[in-house]
Amino acid sequence: ILKTTYIFILLFIWTRLGLPSPLRPICDPRVLDRFIKEARDTEFAMRSCSEGCSLAEPLSVPLTSVDFAIWEKGDVSEQAQEVQSGLWLLAQAISAVRVSITSTALHSLLDNSHSNIHSIGQVIRSLNFPEYTPPADGTVHEDTWRVSSTLELFRVHTNFLRGKVRLLLSHAPACRRDST
Amino acid sequence: MMNVAATEMLCWNAASLLVAVEPEDPKCFAEGMRDLTCFWEEEGSRSPDDYAFTYMYQETNEESSKCALTAQSVGGSKTRYICRLPSVQHFVPLDVSVFQDGRLIYNRNLLIDHVFLLDPPANVTVTQTGEQEQLRVCWLPPALMDMENSMMYEVEYAPTGSHMGKRESVRARSEIILHSLQPDTRYNIRVRAKPDGLSYSGYWTAWAPWVSMTTPPAEMDLLILALCVVISLILILLSLTLLLSYRRFLLKKVWPVIPSPENKFDGLFSVYGGNFHEWLGVGNRGFWWSPTFLLVEESPSPLEVLSEAGFTAPVPVHPMPFKALGLSKKEVEEDERTGGQDSVLMGRRKGKAHPHWVLEQLQSLDQPSVPCCELHTLEPSDTYVSLNYRSQQDSGAMSPLADISEESLPLQVLFESPGTPTSFSDLESVTYSSGSGEISSQSSLEYPYGAWPLKGPSYISMTVTDSGISTDYSHMSWGTTGLGDLAMAYTNEYKNKVPAPRLPPHGHTVYSYY
Repeated sequence: ILKTTYIFILLFIWTRLGLPSPLRPICDPRVLDRFIKEARDTEFAMRSCSEGCSLAEPLSVPLTSVDFAIWEKGDVSEQAQEVQSGLWLLAQAISAVRVSITSTALHSLLDNSHSNIHSIGQVIRSLNFPEYTPPADGTVHEDTWRVSSTLELFRVHTNFLRGKVRLLLSHAPACRRDST
Repeated sequence: MMNVAATEMLCWNAASLLVAVEPEDPKCFAEGMRDLTCFWEEEGSRSPDDYAFTYMYQETNEESSKCALTAQSVGGSKTRYICRLPSVQHFVPLDVSVFQDGRLIYNRNLLIDHVFLLDPPANVTVTQTGEQEQLRVCWLPPALMDMENSMMYEVEYAPTGSHMGKRESVRARSEIILHSLQPDTRYNIRVRAKPDGLSYSGYWTAWAPWVSMTTPPAEMDLLILALCVVISLILILLSLTLLLSYRRFLLKKVWPVIPSPENKFDGLFSVYGGNFHEWLGVGNRGFWWSPTFLLVEESPSPLEVLSEAGFTAPVPVHPMPFKALGLSKKEVEEDERTGGQDSVLMGRRKGKAHPHWVLEQLQSLDQPSVPCCELHTLEPSDTYVSLNYRSQQDSGAMSPLADISEESLPLQVLFESPGTPTSFSDLESVTYSSGSGEISSQSSLEYPYGAWPLKGPSYISMTVTDSGISTDYSHMSWGTTGLGDLAMAYTNEYKNKVPAPRLPPHGHTVYSYY
């Protein structure tokens, strides 16, 4: 018995080390809930934005709509790609907005949103989804939407997190495997 | 048809809820993840074709769509127009417009995932937890995908008959334990649900049906009970310890030892079984008489020796003179002590013809007794020795002669021939009125513990006085009064000398003879 446990421990450690993602799966829904909450606060704050909230150029943002009838039948890895590309787009848009907004209070919110998006990307990577590589030319494969104000931007940002990102994380196979 | 009717009925209840809650028109709600129902109510009963319901999802590339309306009559005059969307999309704003006869009457922008109106929680069960003043409430969460972790619930509970209900909120859990309830009370409980508002939002569901349960009755706190038991045990142990340590003392108090005279009466119980008479009759009498016996021994019985000469009148002389039996040891010692005079006297007595003298005595005794009131004048030259044999202090049947005889052997020998000591007693009995055989003496008067009955006037006591040695005996001369004076005289002397009456040192010993 001692020998078998010893061998098992060795195998376990080796498999652990061999995994591409060293991160442990982050399956706690409260992690994303916090991000969603902060995104909503930022959206509310943007309603009072007066200066610099109009964008000169429309920014591409991901589509947030989810049809559950379709979503439930969809491929998880495709959904993961869709989510990651959308996050990347949002990060790009937020970075662009930050430049034009002069309010320092909003700057902190923007920075927070940007870091949150980055953290969500790490969470997604922890769930063993294939990593998304942004296209070099800046255009995305998936359908996008263009927003022309920061308020719209952050509304999309909130809806995206609430919707697709959350669905992806809550139904991630890595989390399901741990729970079973 | 029936399904539609059932669904419409449900909608009817939901609609009544929404009417109270949602101010905007049209009122829209989603009962699940794939539907949306919108309705509005209008006075009159116009055809739904007069209305147009259009909707469009924003931030998408989709176009607006039209929804088929149905009409329901409500409350008689009103009409409800209902639109059910075939498919919905979440997380995108929905723009709804209602046109009546081409004119826009309602417009609303909503998020479908924010207008959830679900069914009330199902399978509400209330159970006792086993603890005091507690109840556990359980229910099933909505069976919608992705909604199980996004619900919040509200529990309302109140004692039966009371209108003061309390509410408790629960998040993300489908059970709750109610605390601080009244014991032994029946409570009514109901539950309703609502999306928590973070990812999904909506309206409060309808209340689930009331569920009743009684709280357990109040019972004594286990801790207090345990403490009471422990304290009582400790008290019992203490009292037992005290009882055991003072066991003997308490036993003496409660069950006192019956005193037994065993230690005072040696052998009374062990040998004679408590028979006091038997115990007295054997040997132990000495113990009884030992104190007095000693006293008796202490008090010498004087010896009276009557001399042959000097008797003016024949007097019945008690043969006792020779009853040196009455001579106690002490007197013998005194005789010896006083020198040989007494012994000389004795010898003198002995020297005389004792038998002859005895016979004379006997003869005198045979003669009728002469009242003793005659006074004999005592001449100093005369020597009288009167024998006084005094028995021991008892008045028992025991003949004192026997005891005395042991002590005065020399004189006793003289009397052996004439008879046994008992004969003397007989003579005495003749002489003395008392037939008891006892030799009466005045020792009863002289000695407080004596029991000597005074004898009749036949008794004469003679004193022997010396010629001129002492005057102590002046008071010893007895008058004719007889015994009384004698008794008194002797009483005076002997009382002083009790228990060891010392005769004054003189050549002659004065003895009283009774």
